[in-house]
Amino acid sequence: MSLVMSFTVKNLLPATICSIRSNFPSSIHKYSTGPSKTSSNVLDHLTDWETLSKNRKTSKAMKAYLERAKEHDEFMKRQHLEFNIGKRHLANMMGEDPETFTQKDVDRAIEYLFPSGIYDPAARPLMKPPEEVFPARKAAEFDEAGRPHHFLFYTGKPSFFKVLYDAAEHIQALNKFEDKVIRKKATPDPNGSLKLEGSVWLTKEQLEQSLVESIKEIEYENFKVVMERLVSSPYAYLCKDFIEKYRKPLAMQRFALEIPKPSYDEEGRAFITTYECLRKKARGEVTIRYPGSGKISINGKDITYFEDIQPREQVMFPLIFSGMQNSVDVECHIEGGGPSGQAGAIRWGIAWSLRSFVEKDMLEKMQVAGLLTRDHRRRERKKPGQPGARKKPTWKKR
Amino acid sequence: MFSRNWRVLSRAYSQAVTFRTSEISPQHQNDKQIGLFYTLKQDTCKELFSNGGLPKSFMKQTKTFTETTLMIRQPALDLINCIKSTDFNKPVIRYVLYGEKGCGKSLTMAHMIHYAYEDGYLIVHVPWVSEWLRRVPRHKEMSNSQTREGLVDLPLDAAAWLIHFKSQNQTLLKSSDLKISKEYVWSKREKTESGAPLSELVEHGIARIKYACDVIDALISEIKILSNNKQCKTFVAIDGFNSFFYPLTRLNTPTKKKVKPDEVTLTKSFLELTKNDWNNGIILLSADQLAVPDENQDSYFPRYLLRKQGFEYLDPFVPIEVGRYSDKEFLSCASYYRDRLWLRGPPEIETELKFTSACNPFKFMEQCAPL
Repeated sequence: MSLVMSFTVKNLLPATICSIRSNFPSSIHKYSTGPSKTSSNVLDHLTDWETLSKNRKTSKAMKAYLERAKEHDEFMKRQHLEFNIGKRHLANMMGEDPETFTQKDVDRAIEYLFPSGIYDPAARPLMKPPEEVFPARKAAEFDEAGRPHHFLFYTGKPSFFKVLYDAAEHIQALNKFEDKVIRKKATPDPNGSLKLEGSVWLTKEQLEQSLVESIKEIEYENFKVVMERLVSSPYAYLCKDFIEKYRKPLAMQRFALEIPKPSYDEEGRAFITTYECLRKKARGEVTIRYPGSGKISINGKDITYFEDIQPREQVMFPLIFSGMQNSVDVECHIEGGGPSGQAGAIRWGIAWSLRSFVEKDMLEKMQVAGLLTRDHRRRERKKPGQPGARKKPTWKKR
Repeated sequence: MFSRNWRVLSRAYSQAVTFRTSEISPQHQNDKQIGLFYTLKQDTCKELFSNGGLPKSFMKQTKTFTETTLMIRQPALDLINCIKSTDFNKPVIRYVLYGEKGCGKSLTMAHMIHYAYEDGYLIVHVPWVSEWLRRVPRHKEMSNSQTREGLVDLPLDAAAWLIHFKSQNQTLLKSSDLKISKEYVWSKREKTESGAPLSELVEHGIARIKYACDVIDALISEIKILSNNKQCKTFVAIDGFNSFFYPLTRLNTPTKKKVKPDEVTLTKSFLELTKNDWNNGIILLSADQLAVPDENQDSYFPRYLLRKQGFEYLDPFVPIEVGRYSDKEFLSCASYYRDRLWLRGPPEIETELKFTSACNPFKFMEQCAPL
């Protein structure tokens, strides 16, 4: 109801209320959320309360909704009850105090009592509060008389269009603010700036989830266009809160954070040891010493440990790629698997250890070249009824 | 046009890096020329190695390059220096070449044979012992020896070797006065008089294949006597010598009995030659992993390859290791290949090849072939 009222007020009295001062985004919010004293007085005059109260009949839609809501509420209540009882049981089973048993303890207990090796974590047994398990439902969007609460109800997607509407409002407010700044010949605030490098816009799915509405592809595109326009304004930092609601931070790149510092041996040379260099069935460790002469030792032998050219090339690749082949010494201990698996493990180990000794742009190049990526492929099992993993018997008509 | 440009480019490249030497006589080669290539004359090469002596893959390459070039390497120079300072009145010194597979033992031996040829030695060269004992073609000629009880003859191999011997020592056999010291009676009608030239004995072996093994035996004792009398100096080179000491050969007698190396007449003769009971000669042997079966190739050191028996037999000897390419040798070899248009592409290719071949000459040659 209040939303509707504020809308009308704004349309009727733009000049008196929307002074230049109130053009900040925060003030717009205020208007849209709670009407002030003056506006309620005006509304009393405008709204025909008598006619409204006369036909105070509950609409059919409302009735149906009320029934459904009641059912759902009861269901949720039951679920809550069951969850709480279950939680107490679980606490007793684990021998802990049921009063202070938190969700974290529940997860731990479930993992302990129902150990699961299922690959997908979503498929493992869980016990969560019912709100998290059952999808949220929209509350009634209309009052008992059947009048919608939301001013954009008849668009069919009120929350989504509200976002666009708000964005447009913000853009206008910012334009006005810019005009004002130019008129006053003031310099823009150098400290105010928006940092968008570390985050991206919500994806379509994420947006749908947060709005509890399904949107079309083209609508999502429109969303992005409007938001980009908002962001392109030099004073976009003024509506930072609004923008950040629809952005998601990017995961930081792993190697940038965790590059280990090399330790020093008795000769004063920097060295890094990478344990657990794995590929296929091969397991090993690689040590790299920094001021070196390009010596390579694999299980006490030199590169002739590998007979064939392919594994030798594998070992050589990260060294040649980073141009360090004559400035580091490599020492590997590797066991298990065959030559190509061992060579692959060494290759990864060398590249992983070299991170500490190369520059940042080379590190990025190595990342792009796939040197820092583990190869998780394993041998595929043989299937019964056929000669190999995928190979089928020769087809014969009869 | 394109190929001509290439040729001009690579010519320019090869002139920038020296990899050749004009010093074609091994006697005058010195330390300054290490890593450089020298060219064998076509007819010398034909004389020395037409019946074997150079590895097969190397022969192929020489055919492609239309020249036979050898790299001057440290082991060969060391050997030449040793030989130059040897006292020939003392019993013969035995040198054993050893090293990893494909490091150039056979080519070092070929280099030494060229040296011996230039220096006027009588060359007794066995290209590859395993050819006799381990390689069994479809029709391997074998017969029981008639003169020595319980031994096996390989007449065809023996005759082939006699031809090799003859071609290697053409000039010496033709010109010199190498005479036989005693009379050899082969059968009722055939005999070789004492005082006949050595070449007659060889010719007899080639003509009468049946007696080839006995001829070799006689020849070897004659060579020993001649050397002792200072009538000639002898250079013995045997490649894959450790084959003689491996417990079994791959030969079978017609009665399906396995033959041991000791039971072959050729083995007896050449083991007789490698004893140090004579003088005025040089003995150069090689111990090679390739001369024994795969399961006995764990190490390349002479003690392992010659086994206890062979090691004690040869003791004392001078071991000489033939190693992988040094940086300089590798660079020179790479520029030689570039000169021959055998290797193309950017210069970075050499760093990679150096790494992947681990400076092993044979591997390097192999890996350059498809480039």
